[in-house]
Amino acid sequence: MIAHPVSTAKTYIFVWLSLLGLLLLTLGSAFLSLGAFNAVINVGVAFAKAILVMIFFMHLRSGHYILRIVAIAGFFWLAILIGLTFTDFATR
Amino acid sequence: MSAVTVPSAASYLEDGFSLWSWLSSVDHKRIAVLYAISITLFFFIGGAAATLIRLELVTPTGDVVSAETYNKLFTMHGVIMVWFFLIPSIPSTMGNFLVPLMIGARDLAFPRLNLASWYLYIAGGVFTVGALLMGGVDTGWTFYTPFSTMFSNTHVFAAVAGVFVVGFSTILTGINFIVTIHTMRAPGMTWFRLPLFIWCMYATSVIFVLATPVLAMTLFLMSIERFFGVGVFDPALGGDPLLFQHLFWFYSHPAVYVMILPAMGVVSEIITCFARKNVFGYRAMAYAVLAIAIIGFLVWGHHMFVSGQSIYAGTVFSILTFLVAIPSAIKVFNWTATLYKGSISFHAPMLYVLGFIALFTIGGMTGLFLASLAIDVHVHDTYFVIAHFHYIMVGGAVMAFLGGMHFWWPKMTGRMYSDAWARFAAILVFFGFNLTFFPQFVLGYLGMPRRYHEYPPEFQMLNVLSSAGASILAVGYLLPLCYLLWSLRYGKPAGPNPWRATGLEWKTTSPPSTGNFATVPVVTEGPYAYSRQERPDER
Amino acid sequence: MSDSAAVLIARQYDDAQQQRSAADLGIWVFLATEVLFFGVLFAVYTMTRFNHPEAFASASRLTNITLGSINTAVLLTSSLTMALGVRAAKLGLSRPLVGWLCTTIALGIVFLAIKATEYYLDYGEHLVPGLNFAYAGADRHAVELFFYLYFLTTGLHSLHMVIGIGVVATIAAMASRGAYSPAYFTPVEVSGLYWHLVDIVWIFVYPLLYLVSRS
Repeated sequence: MIAHPVSTAKTYIFVWLSLLGLLLLTLGSAFLSLGAFNAVINVGVAFAKAILVMIFFMHLRSGHYILRIVAIAGFFWLAILIGLTFTDFATR
Repeated sequence: MSAVTVPSAASYLEDGFSLWSWLSSVDHKRIAVLYAISITLFFFIGGAAATLIRLELVTPTGDVVSAETYNKLFTMHGVIMVWFFLIPSIPSTMGNFLVPLMIGARDLAFPRLNLASWYLYIAGGVFTVGALLMGGVDTGWTFYTPFSTMFSNTHVFAAVAGVFVVGFSTILTGINFIVTIHTMRAPGMTWFRLPLFIWCMYATSVIFVLATPVLAMTLFLMSIERFFGVGVFDPALGGDPLLFQHLFWFYSHPAVYVMILPAMGVVSEIITCFARKNVFGYRAMAYAVLAIAIIGFLVWGHHMFVSGQSIYAGTVFSILTFLVAIPSAIKVFNWTATLYKGSISFHAPMLYVLGFIALFTIGGMTGLFLASLAIDVHVHDTYFVIAHFHYIMVGGAVMAFLGGMHFWWPKMTGRMYSDAWARFAAILVFFGFNLTFFPQFVLGYLGMPRRYHEYPPEFQMLNVLSSAGASILAVGYLLPLCYLLWSLRYGKPAGPNPWRATGLEWKTTSPPSTGNFATVPVVTEGPYAYSRQERPDER
Repeated sequence: MSDSAAVLIARQYDDAQQQRSAADLGIWVFLATEVLFFGVLFAVYTMTRFNHPEAFASASRLTNITLGSINTAVLLTSSLTMALGVRAAKLGLSRPLVGWLCTTIALGIVFLAIKATEYYLDYGEHLVPGLNFAYAGADRHAVELFFYLYFLTTGLHSLHMVIGIGVVATIAAMASRGAYSPAYFTPVEVSGLYWHLVDIVWIFVYPLLYLVSRS
């Protein structure tokens, strides 16, 4: 009756530990003076955490492909908003 | 396709007669009718504002209303027409009525959410009409900062609250349509057997869900700044008024595609029926619809060419705006090719559609002039812009709305109307429209600014022509109200398919029963399997 | 666990599978709208920080990194417990389901309590725009804008948390009455997805508000 495969509890716990690890990474790197690279790490780690949550906790990996398209579309459209607006602010 | 289903249930119109049965109904067809009545009401309120505007502009001096009142008139005209008429018009009436029927479903995916959409629409309308009754708003429908946040003394918040609420109405409708089209198509109804109207509803819904949340948050930010005096749009506090414009237009440009895409869907349905021909280039039409929706998100800066936006960003937005014209043009070419060697008849819906093609083309081409940075410098904020968007929104979207109402009226009500009166009204609308708005291209080119209640005397003749046209247009809009309502009582019974059209909606009774189909239809061919020999019924 | 709850198929659907697909797609489309709704705040943050980088750096140092980091860990853990709850529902384990949902709610309440503490401390340091904002350093206006965005973003996020707690509590109550089974647990899954989205919003909010300049 179950349509999607059920992840094991171990998988979830492993993902959770990875998330906490990434949290420590981003927190720790904030105390190092890396200039612009700090922001890169922070945003990159945030995306990594979000992707882990979406793939494993939100079952994007096993769902219908249209759900992945919807998830990507949301973030992609936000990127359009921020990116194209930024072309104005950055070139004035 | 399967045979006509024999109704075992009463029509949706007879499924309960009390007012409460209508106000609590989750039947998509009843909700469509609720919307149809509501948007007509708002259309005439917005039209009343337009009447006063055109009355004022008959003479060069400001002698009908004060400047402040004039500002309130064009603001309310814009707010009501954009959010309470144009955006919901086709999607919430014809979309709600037809999407389940056209794909062979019993209802939308989320019927209760559908009813919630209508109540949100009404709640938003209450706020906005409330703002009107309390004295109006004078910021323009675009609510630009810093005027809206710092200097306007009118009821900005009430109007903005209304728009915020009605935005959620459209978001819910968008979610409903997307889910319905993805998951509830009848067996055999593959994506490329869908009527183009469905493709247009789908693309419109994608815009609803991706753009409207941005408007909601932007209006929220603007309201907070107005109330608390802290915010990101005030340069004295480190903010930037252009940020508001970017955020506002990120929604509001795609919003205009929300207004035109459903109209294009209606055109495709009507033109195939009254040319008795399959549409030319079905796949190109479907892809063009998606392209318009997507590229339409990338062009918003063309509203800001002279605002202080960087010239480099302006160039990027200009190029992208030229790009978005291409899929629109493809659609116009394909409709024309559909007519070629078709068996054309000139019933009222077809007259509206032919008018649409002509007027949309003019409106679209003038959009290209505006997309050119060098030209826009001269015509921005003039009547050229007003003429451009009215050619698209009125010459295009409203004509298609009327055409669609005339095409599907027999299905929705089970009655035929007088085609002679309908054709007369369509011709009157076409003539009145052009007389109203073509002079405005000239006025704008000559330099008359928009949103001014008075103007130099040399512009008077063109303004008088425009106002005269508006009075003819008004008659053209009132006529359908009369003969369509008359037909409810005295019109000839329509039968299931008076136009001999293809499409699953014509396989049901007129009007359909509550559950639409007694048995689930099975689809075996494309949507426009017309034979040129067979004509729609002559009436 | 046996499931006595039969699957109720709404009138408009052909079968349970279609009903389930519609619910899944519907909630994901709704989540996409939430991404764009919160996304405006990220866009505003980006442009304002681009215009005032030093001010945002100074302002960020005034946020409470300890409480913010603990809160992030709390929320990530609540996503774990929520995911384990959905898993329990899929396997028909009613008691663990209720347990995991209640744990999720508890963690959510802990998050809000810590947030409230932070707000209280911020108020004490005169960092609340529109109320008692006072900052002596340079770029006073831009620092105020940072805190305007801070309170707006975390405030809206907290509102979503409150809604999420309410939803999960309702689901937990239904679950304790045996409403869900392996054949029908869609409301559990849908609430889980909403909860995870609220977590994802915080995942992005955290570094942008707390970690701008700590070195």
